[in-house]
Amino acid sequence: MDQEQLSAGLSARFPGKILGVDTFPGTNGRVRFDATVASDLFRSLRDDFHFTHLTMVGATDWIDHREVFYVLWSDADRRYLILSTDLPAESPVIASAVPIWPSANAHEREAWDLVGVKFEGHPDLRRIFMPEGYAYHPLLRSFKIHEPEDLEVKVRSD
Amino acid sequence: MSGQAPETSKPLPRTTPDSTPAGDLPLAVVGQPGVPFVEIETLRAREFIPAAKEALSSLLKEQAQGKLIRPVFNWAGRNSLFPLHWGLACCAIEFAAAFGARWDAERFGVVPRSSPRQCDLLIVNGTVTWKVAHKLIALYEQMPEPKWAIAMGNCATGGGPFRTAYSVVPGVDKLIPVDVYIAGCPPRPENMLDGILRLEQLIKERGE
Ligand code: SF4
Repeated sequence: MDQEQLSAGLSARFPGKILGVDTFPGTNGRVRFDATVASDLFRSLRDDFHFTHLTMVGATDWIDHREVFYVLWSDADRRYLILSTDLPAESPVIASAVPIWPSANAHEREAWDLVGVKFEGHPDLRRIFMPEGYAYHPLLRSFKIHEPEDLEVKVRSD
Repeated sequence: MSGQAPETSKPLPRTTPDSTPAGDLPLAVVGQPGVPFVEIETLRAREFIPAAKEALSSLLKEQAQGKLIRPVFNWAGRNSLFPLHWGLACCAIEFAAAFGARWDAERFGVVPRSSPRQCDLLIVNGTVTWKVAHKLIALYEQMPEPKWAIAMGNCATGGGPFRTAYSVVPGVDKLIPVDVYIAGCPPRPENMLDGILRLEQLIKERGE
């Protein structure tokens, strides 16, 4: 299945929810979609379009909105597909991909920990790099690096 | 030991090489006629035990009068430090190398153990992140007193190349008391041995 067939098939299944397709050489392109259909789109991509493997989930803070992207791999086509969606900065919430691709688990925890995107339906959305109880999402652009001298250290040992 | 061990009551035949001043302990003159190797060993062990007994009983006598045993414990403790075998980052490779055959830190009586409850020295050999900070404190608190800590490498000393990173503790002295800092990224095993010797000096000076 090439890129045209794929984007046509997706647009037919999710009318008005596929916001655009960008071309990337060597892949099936980047599909921008509306976050409200995330769960159904993931399921359809896995079951109908044979994207059986989720390679990675990432997130970016663009200040006025946050972008979440997914990289999928199809064994049938031997092609990658990139999904991307924009979330409002005030409430960055999207459905979790873990029920469809279990490999999303750690990636979504990372995106939550560092960029603060909330994945609804994730079985275990804890921080992954920062300690539990840390107050910030440090890859947000609003995060200020503190000078080590100003740091007030309070650590519980338990 | 051989079957023909000499009897205890008789003094053992001593063969003193010409160069040895009379009265000194005989050197291990292996192969000299009349002094097989085993008997030399027996002789030395036999002379050592009464001497040690005598020294110990005089120590205990003095201890009854006060204050001698503390320096002895200090001497014994500082010459046999037990660091925790806990590798954190790249510095742990140098830490491991120092205990290998080439640098052989065990020459100085330093033997790493795997449980904090058997250790009296915490060598923080790598980058400490906030995620692992409370584990570090827990390990330190599990070590029995008296205990010491060495910050090995720039990361443990002050955060190193990751000083302003959001995830890295800028110096473990924010978490635990540190006795000796070793600079370097990573410090060579020689530097680490130097740090351990300096810690021994420090323990001696403090008289803990
Ligand atoms: S001081 Fe250098 S070698 Fe040591 S842990 Fe830090 S980065 Fe690695």
